[in-house]
Amino acid sequence: NSDVDDDDGGAHVASDDDEVQVRPKVVKVDPEEEVEFDRELRALMQESLDSRKLDLRSRPTLNMMIPMNVFEGSTKDHHGRAAEGESGDETLDEDGGGVNKEVSVRVLVKRGHKQQTKQMLIPRDCSLVQGTKQKEAAELEE
Amino acid sequence: EETGEDESYDFGKGDFTEHACRYCGVQNPACVVRCNVPSCRKWFCNSRGNTSGSHIVNHLVRAKHKEVCLHKDSPLGETILECYNCGCRNVFLLGFISAKTESVVVLLCREPCLSVNALKDMNWDLSQWCPLIDDRCFLQWLVKVPSEQEQLRARQISAQQINKVEELWKTNPDATLEDLEKPGVDDEPQHVAFKYDDAYQYQNVFAPLVKLEADYDKMMKESQSKDNVTIRWDIGLNKKRVAYFVFPKEDNELRLVPGDELRLRYPGDANHPAWQSVGHVIKLTAQEEVALELRASQGVPVDVNHGFSVDFVWKSTSFDRMQGAMKTFAVDETSVSGYIYHHLLGHEVEVQVVRNTLPRRFGAPGLPELNASQVFAVKSVLQKPISLIQGPPGTGKTVTSAAIVYHMAKQGQGQVLVCAPSNVAVDQLAEKISATGLKVVRLCAKSREAVSSPVEHLTLHYQVRHLDTSEKSELHKLQQLKDEQGELSSSDEKKYKALKRATEREISQSADVICCTCVGAGDPRLANFRFRQVLIDESTQANEPECLIPLVLGAKQVVLVGDHCQLGPVIMCKKAARAGLAQSLFERLVILGVKPIRLQVQYRMHPALSEFPSNSFYEGTLQNGVTINERQSSGIDFPWPVPNRPMFFYVQMGQEEISASGTSYLNRTEAANVEKIVTTFLRSGVVPNQIGVITPYEGQRAYIVNYMSRNGALRQQLYKEIEVASVDSFQGREKDYIILSCVRSNEHQGIGFLNDPRRLNVALTRARYGIVVLGNPKVLSKQPLWNSLLTHYKEHECLVEGPLNNLKQSMVQFQKPKKIYN
Ligand SMILES: [Zn+2]
Ligand SMILES: [Zn+2]
Ligand SMILES: [Zn+2]
Repeated sequence: NSDVDDDDGGAHVASDDDEVQVRPKVVKVDPEEEVEFDRELRALMQESLDSRKLDLRSRPTLNMMIPMNVFEGSTKDHHGRAAEGESGDETLDEDGGGVNKEVSVRVLVKRGHKQQTKQMLIPRDCSLVQGTKQKEAAELEE
Repeated sequence: EETGEDESYDFGKGDFTEHACRYCGVQNPACVVRCNVPSCRKWFCNSRGNTSGSHIVNHLVRAKHKEVCLHKDSPLGETILECYNCGCRNVFLLGFISAKTESVVVLLCREPCLSVNALKDMNWDLSQWCPLIDDRCFLQWLVKVPSEQEQLRARQISAQQINKVEELWKTNPDATLEDLEKPGVDDEPQHVAFKYDDAYQYQNVFAPLVKLEADYDKMMKESQSKDNVTIRWDIGLNKKRVAYFVFPKEDNELRLVPGDELRLRYPGDANHPAWQSVGHVIKLTAQEEVALELRASQGVPVDVNHGFSVDFVWKSTSFDRMQGAMKTFAVDETSVSGYIYHHLLGHEVEVQVVRNTLPRRFGAPGLPELNASQVFAVKSVLQKPISLIQGPPGTGKTVTSAAIVYHMAKQGQGQVLVCAPSNVAVDQLAEKISATGLKVVRLCAKSREAVSSPVEHLTLHYQVRHLDTSEKSELHKLQQLKDEQGELSSSDEKKYKALKRATEREISQSADVICCTCVGAGDPRLANFRFRQVLIDESTQANEPECLIPLVLGAKQVVLVGDHCQLGPVIMCKKAARAGLAQSLFERLVILGVKPIRLQVQYRMHPALSEFPSNSFYEGTLQNGVTINERQSSGIDFPWPVPNRPMFFYVQMGQEEISASGTSYLNRTEAANVEKIVTTFLRSGVVPNQIGVITPYEGQRAYIVNYMSRNGALRQQLYKEIEVASVDSFQGREKDYIILSCVRSNEHQGIGFLNDPRRLNVALTRARYGIVVLGNPKVLSKQPLWNSLLTHYKEHECLVEGPLNNLKQSMVQFQKPKKIYN
C-alpha cells in the first residue's frame, strides 16, 4: 500500500539565507522626550567645555608629531592588528558598480607612550576625508 | 512533565554575553562600547531604537558618564577613546581631525587642544574637526549601528524604561530591565498577550507564570507525604530493589507518573536502624500500586513491610528548561530563524515560501496510504516555515506527522527533531516514523530509563547498551561490572561516563530523527545539536514555554500538530492558568490568524457517534472514513434503543455526594448502573479491554472501581481489567465501547469539570463502536452545549430511562440553557 517514491533524495534547494521581511513598526519618538533629551545633552556638552576653559593651567604642551612610519608604506600596519575583516584599502560598492563608498584611513592612537596606527574604513563623504581629498586634488592640479 | 538529572547543567547559552547592550541586548562587538566609569562599566550599542539618541549616548547623558572604551573585537581593538594630545577622555569634547596630506586621523579634544595654534603648523588640518558624538549618536563608522535585522530582534526599549532603569542603577548597579516589571508578591501576574514587542517582553510575561506554576507544583508535591505505608518488596530484572505500595491520590492533585522521584523512609525499630532511600517510579499498576525502583540496594529493611513513609522529591528540571528556553529565545539570535522569531511574537511578517523540491508522492513507506486531506497537509507543511495541523479525533495525525517527518528528513537539512508533551505520544510517533525506515533515536529522561517503553529498541540507552562492536567492549565491561556491583570505583565511573557519553553522541548523531518530549529537548545531551526542522505533536497540550524548548535549538521550519478543540495543557496553579499559561502556542497562533490545516476524515467512530462532535466542534467538516457496516458490532447483543445507532443517554436522577476525601464527588446510582452496563457488555461477548469507563471525578472513579469488584455479577477479575479513568487521561486514546458517568446532579451548583466544551468533545470521541452517557438531563441541560447534546439524543430517540432490559424513551423536561456571555 506504499505510494512512495523513494527516489526523491536528489536536488533539494536547501536555502540557508534567513531573509525575513518584517513590516517595520512606525517608530515614533515622543517629541517631548526628544526636547528634554536634547536639553540635557547640550547641558552636558556645555558643562564639559566650561570645565576645560576654566582650567587655565592646563594649556597643553604639544605632542602631536605624526610618527614617521605612518608615511612609509601606506597599507602596512606596523603593529600587528590590521583592521579585522575589513582589510584592503577600499571596498567595492555592493552593487558592483565600482563606486567606492568608503575609504581607508589610519587612526593614530597612543598605547601608553607608544604610537600606533589602526586601519579603518570611513565613508567617502565624511567631512574628514573630504578635506584631504580636496587638497590632494588641488595639489594635483598645481 | 518529566525530570532528568541535569542539575549541574548550566544554561550558559541563554545568558547575556557581557558586552550585550544593557538596554536592548544587541551584542555585535562592532556596535557596542563600554561605559568606562569604574562603578558602571556597562555596555551599550549605537542604535537609537525608539529613542531620539543612540543607546550609548542615552546612557552617558542620563547617567552623566563621559568616558567609553571600544570592544576588543572592534576594528580599533580595546581602546579607551581619548585626546591624542592631552589624554582627555570626555567624549563630549572629543572629535577627529585629519592630517593635511595623509589619510591619517586622530582624536583631539575641542578644548583646549583644538585651539592650540601650533597645530596648524604641524601638518594637521584643523578646519575639519569631526565630533565623536553627532546627531545624538556616536560616529557611525567608528561604532557601527546594528543592522535593521539586529535591531528588530533586539529588545524594544522605550525612553521611559531607559529613564526608569537608569534611576534604578543609581542604587543598584546590577539591576536588570526585568526588575522594573517584577510584580509585587501579592500582585496578579501580568496576563499573556497575543503579540509581543520582543522576546524580552515575552520572557517578562511568561517567566513569572512558569515560576508560579513551579512554586505551586513544588508546594503541592512536597506536601504529599504519606505515613503508615505498607510495602511489598521485589527485585527487578536489573537486580535493583523495587518497592510496591499504594499511594492514594485526590482530584486535581498529584498524579504520579513514571519517572517521578520518591523518598521512602523507615523510622527504625528495635531490630532495624532508621533507613531511607530515594527511587524512581517505574510503573503504576492497574491495581493502583506504585512500583518504586530504589537507587541503592544496600541496607534495605526488606523483612519489614509496615510503617514506612513516602515523600515526593520535587525537581525543578522541567521548569528550569522552560526558563532557559525563553532566555535563549531572547538573547541568542541563532536560536530560531528570523522568520520564526517574528512570527512567534506576532509581528507582521511577509509570507515566506520554503524553497524545497516537493516529493512526487506524499505518503511514506511503511505507513498506510494517505487520504486527500492528509496529502494536502503534508504538501502544504513542506512549503511553509511554520504550519499548524489540526487533527480531530481519529483523523490519523500520527500517520500524517510521520509522513511529514519522513519527507523532511529526506530533504537533507540535517536531523529532524520530533517532540510531544507526553511520553506516550512521543513513543507512538517514534514507532510510526521508524516504520518508514528512517533511523530514529528516542531520547528518554535518565529517570525514565528503567520505565518500560513500547519502543525500547529505539531508545538511546538501549542502543548504547546493545551496540555490539569491539570498540564498545570497554564500555560493555564497565556496564556489566556496574550492573553486578551496583557501583564502580571512582576512576572506573569516570571512564564509564566518558565512554557512555561518547557512544551516546555517536548514536544520536547518526540518527535521521531524534524523538523526545518537549522538556526532553532541553536535555544536556542535546545541548550541542541543532535542528532546523521541528515537529511537535499534541502541541495543544503543551504550554507555550514548554513548546519553546524544542524550538530554540535552531528551528527554521516548525510544524505544530494538535487540536485546540480538545483539552489544553494542564496548569495546576489557578493564578497562572487565569493569567493565560493554559493557552497553547498553537491556540495563540490560530488567534493571530494562522489557519490550521484540518485533517477531515475520521477513522474511529461509528458515523452515528461522530455526527454530534463534527457539528458542534468542527463546523460539520468531519467526514467518516468508516462505514456503519465496519462499525457494526456483530454478535454483540446489547439493548441499543435504535439498532443502527449504538448510543444512548441514560437518564439518572440519583444524588451526587461529596467523596470521603471531601474534595471530590461521587454518585452511587450512576455507579450501580455503570456496573449493570458493563456486565451486559461482558455477557454479550465484549472483552474487558474493549471497554472504557470515563468519569470526570476521582471520587466517582474510585467508587466505581470498588463497586464493580465487590458487586459485579461476573468474575471479579473481569472488572479489574476494565479501565476506569478521567476524561483527561483518555485523551489521545480510544476504546471500542465507552461509558461516561457525569456524576453531577444538583439543582444549584454548576456541573464543574463538564462545563469545558473541550472536555466534552474528548469524552464523546473516544468510542469506536458505541457510547453510553449517564447523567441528569435536568441539571446538564442548563449548559448550552449539553442542552444541544441532550436534544440531539432526544431527536434520535436515544434519550432513555428505566431498567436496562426495558429502556423507554424519556420525557424528562430540559431547562432553558443559560446564555453564554463573552
Ligand atoms: Zn556608565
Ligand atoms: Zn542598544
Ligand atoms: Zn586634548
